[in-house]
Amino acid sequence: MDLLVDSLKSALLLLLSFDPELFEIVGVSLNVSFFSTLFAALFGLPAGFFIAFNTFRGKRLIMTCLNTLLALPTVVIGLVVYSLISRRGIFGPLELLYTQKAIIIGQIILIVPVVTTLTIAAISRIDQRYRNTALTLGATYYQMGWVIFLEARFGIMAALIAAFGRVIAEVGISMMLGGNAKGFTRTMTTAMALEYDKGEFVLAVALGLVLMTFAFLVNLVFHFLQGRLKSDAL
Amino acid sequence: MLYELTNVTRTFGSRTVLEIDSLSFEARRIYALIGPNGAGKTTLLNQLAFLDQPSSGQLCFQSSAVSYDHATLTRLRRQVVMVDQNPILFSGSVWRNIEFGLKVRKIPLQERRRRIEYALERVTMADFAHRDVHGLSGGEVKRVALARALALEPKVLLCDEPTANVDREHQEIILKILSHANSVRHTTIIFSTHYLSQSRQLAHRTLLLQNGRLSKNLEENIFGVRLVRRGDELQCCLGDHLLPFTDPDGLAGENRQMRAHIDPAQVRLSPVEQKNSTGSGIAGRVIALTWENSKIRITVDIGPKLQVLLGEQEFTARPYQVLQEVAVGIDARGVTLLN
Repeated sequence: MDLLVDSLKSALLLLLSFDPELFEIVGVSLNVSFFSTLFAALFGLPAGFFIAFNTFRGKRLIMTCLNTLLALPTVVIGLVVYSLISRRGIFGPLELLYTQKAIIIGQIILIVPVVTTLTIAAISRIDQRYRNTALTLGATYYQMGWVIFLEARFGIMAALIAAFGRVIAEVGISMMLGGNAKGFTRTMTTAMALEYDKGEFVLAVALGLVLMTFAFLVNLVFHFLQGRLKSDAL
Repeated sequence: MLYELTNVTRTFGSRTVLEIDSLSFEARRIYALIGPNGAGKTTLLNQLAFLDQPSSGQLCFQSSAVSYDHATLTRLRRQVVMVDQNPILFSGSVWRNIEFGLKVRKIPLQERRRRIEYALERVTMADFAHRDVHGLSGGEVKRVALARALALEPKVLLCDEPTANVDREHQEIILKILSHANSVRHTTIIFSTHYLSQSRQLAHRTLLLQNGRLSKNLEENIFGVRLVRRGDELQCCLGDHLLPFTDPDGLAGENRQMRAHIDPAQVRLSPVEQKNSTGSGIAGRVIALTWENSKIRITVDIGPKLQVLLGEQEFTARPYQVLQEVAVGIDARGVTLLN
């Protein structure tokens, strides 16, 4: 118990002293998580829309595959991407290994199924009558899609937040593809793992606190937007 | 003609829910669609609103066959608006809901404002313009949905049971709105209802749908009936005879005088010696026989005069004669309670 209390005290002091190393790590984490969520959204949202809106052969198979991919371990993604971007891999000449780009690629693969499946769920929950109402009021197919997007906005935001939460907290991909290089690819989770290995708990606990604070802030913003957007859909 | 339907069918899987041989609607008139739940009223309205495509047959709008590509459908839908039985309002304010259809039509801001204010006044909801739609009552939601449709000044306004689940005061308001839209704006109105009184009050023509088909003549086989409770069972009495009936719409109430329509095609006859086993077995006498479009129309005196339609083959297998005593079997599916 003493260890935890002491670590917490020291961690708070470290945070209050604006330790540059700590903020560098937080910066790297936010950078890779932001871009991987952004790119996953660019692919996952339209894909989720397409799958939810249309009926086609193989739809059920795609849904099953996406659900399976939700349980994909980060180390498996790390291994696959490593084999592709390592010096002997087909993308070896691009020299991506142990860069933030490599982490982002791995994390995109991790969360595209999350964004897609949660988008499908959010769109499918919207009553069919919304589509017919938009259409009978003269909306084009794309305008109708926009109406559905607005009505499903909370579900879609929840999908993006879940995806962001997944990548900011993952360690396997960041470690295997980023290499935990100080100042370049050291993220909060890889730093915490390293500090734990060294038996230095102060920085690990401080980073843990930052991670929890971010999770809290993201949810706070979500709830704030939910209140604002509720009366401002169209 | 505004609409012309020729051999239009709509099937879901193996079930045919709409089968219209020929039907046309004229512009600037009010039409009422009457029929029990599952009769195909909403399916027909969806066809007329271009929200659904017939499984077979042809639908013509303003003398042109409808082509079901996105661009054509959007163009046609901008002339026709459907108001659902349980309308959906988009999240946001009443104003923004009404503005939606105008915005997608790229109506200028000033004109949008004028139309929205006018539509809200028409439905007596001018004070609700900036209210959030959450928290509106069922009647208010219906009126906002009507205002949203009226603001678009459509050629055709389709309303699926516009007065369902609405109190009497709001029912009157809604009927007046529809009547006004037709008389002032010359909007063609096609609405479905369970209330014969509403169709008589408002419509220039009433169409009866039963099992997806149009009944040829709504005026025949309509009888005054009385609903009485015997034990746990609610019974429908036509004079001294009991009529089988189903009441999926919950129109029936104890000790109520109502009207019931009996579909002539859903009545079976059998010689009086062998009382009908599946129907109610009402005793009657054949008083007239006529041939009508490959069907035999038989008028049977059961107290009131009941019209029965038999197929030629059925009649040939078992011919009836004038003055012959018969047992009349009426299927519950053929009895429609009308308010």
